[in-house]
Amino acid sequence: MMHCTMDDLLALQAGEASVWARRHVEDCAACRAELDSLYQRVAQLKALPALRPPRDRWSIVRDAVRVDRVRRRRTWSGWGLAAAAALVGILLVPRFGPDGSKLHAELANAKGQSATLEDQLQNYDVDGRVLTGRMAARVAELEDKIAVIDGDLARWGAVKPQAQDAELVQLWQQRVELMRQLVNVRVSSARYVGL
Amino acid sequence: MTVALAVPDVLVARAQAGDEAALEALFRAFETPVYNLARRMLRNAEDAEDVLQETFLEVVKSIRDYRGEGYLWGWIRRIAATKALMRIRRDQIRATEPLDDEHGKTGMHVGANIDLERAFGQLTDTSRAVVWLHDVEGYTHEEIGELMGKSVSFSKSQLARAHARLRGMLGAGEGAQA
Repeated sequence: MMHCTMDDLLALQAGEASVWARRHVEDCAACRAELDSLYQRVAQLKALPALRPPRDRWSIVRDAVRVDRVRRRRTWSGWGLAAAAALVGILLVPRFGPDGSKLHAELANAKGQSATLEDQLQNYDVDGRVLTGRMAARVAELEDKIAVIDGDLARWGAVKPQAQDAELVQLWQQRVELMRQLVNVRVSSARYVGL
Repeated sequence: MTVALAVPDVLVARAQAGDEAALEALFRAFETPVYNLARRMLRNAEDAEDVLQETFLEVVKSIRDYRGEGYLWGWIRRIAATKALMRIRRDQIRATEPLDDEHGKTGMHVGANIDLERAFGQLTDTSRAVVWLHDVEGYTHEEIGELMGKSVSFSKSQLARAHARLRGMLGAGEGAQA
């Protein structure tokens, strides 16, 4: 007597069996028992206890989230800075005459320092690695503040067309100070890992 | 393991906005089902941990693209299953084991009276993955074939071979085929 194969039994379980298999299983006690065993096996598999991760991996994922956020913010900052620089260039032409040479010099100095610090930052942040959550949070905080200033600089011409030029210089100087703090954090992290 | 976890839309929206607390809440909600899926499909616990990590890195990266079609667990589970299958393929390439190898990796005697969990662990990586995805997670053979880059009949034959082998290993505990 021919019996159901495992393919037949699985087809029966899925409701896709041939007419022959459906009729056979009604008449054959052995194949009915096999089909019952299959149902039991599947039920037992579903009832296996959930295996839980032995270690908490959230801190790794979280650090990656923070690094990604900083990178995206930096990209945005870069665009903002470029836009700000373009706007400042436009604004400075009519504003700084012979009497504004001091402000002009201060502004040029702040922009130069900012660019130097940007270069230094690249050297300490080649792979974007963040050592600790605390350090990542500090980096994110500084990046946030810099991004706000970059936003202000980018909107300078549209939002404050009548503002004093000293205010513009002050914004750039604030940016330099924040950049300096950011570089210090990166230098500390590089020292920590012995780079 | 059945996962019937409803995630509030507002939590998903916050996670999509990059809210770290919301992302952690999603991680906490799904870390066990993801790990369990990976651990059942993979032989090695450390590989399963890696899949857990890779899955959530992908979730964090791609959650903005999740449009709410289907339920969130289905979306996350597909990412996890794909990561686990990639790892199986990688290991098979390294070990030059054919994908449809039906023999177990160890010398388990057919008919030995062992429990189902141990017997399941004796299946090949591919067979174990197919059984778990089909019988427990409820994937269709079409979906499994697509995930594995194989045909529907490949998935069906893997499942049949795996059950035949499980039946053989469980032996006396089940009814004998005439």
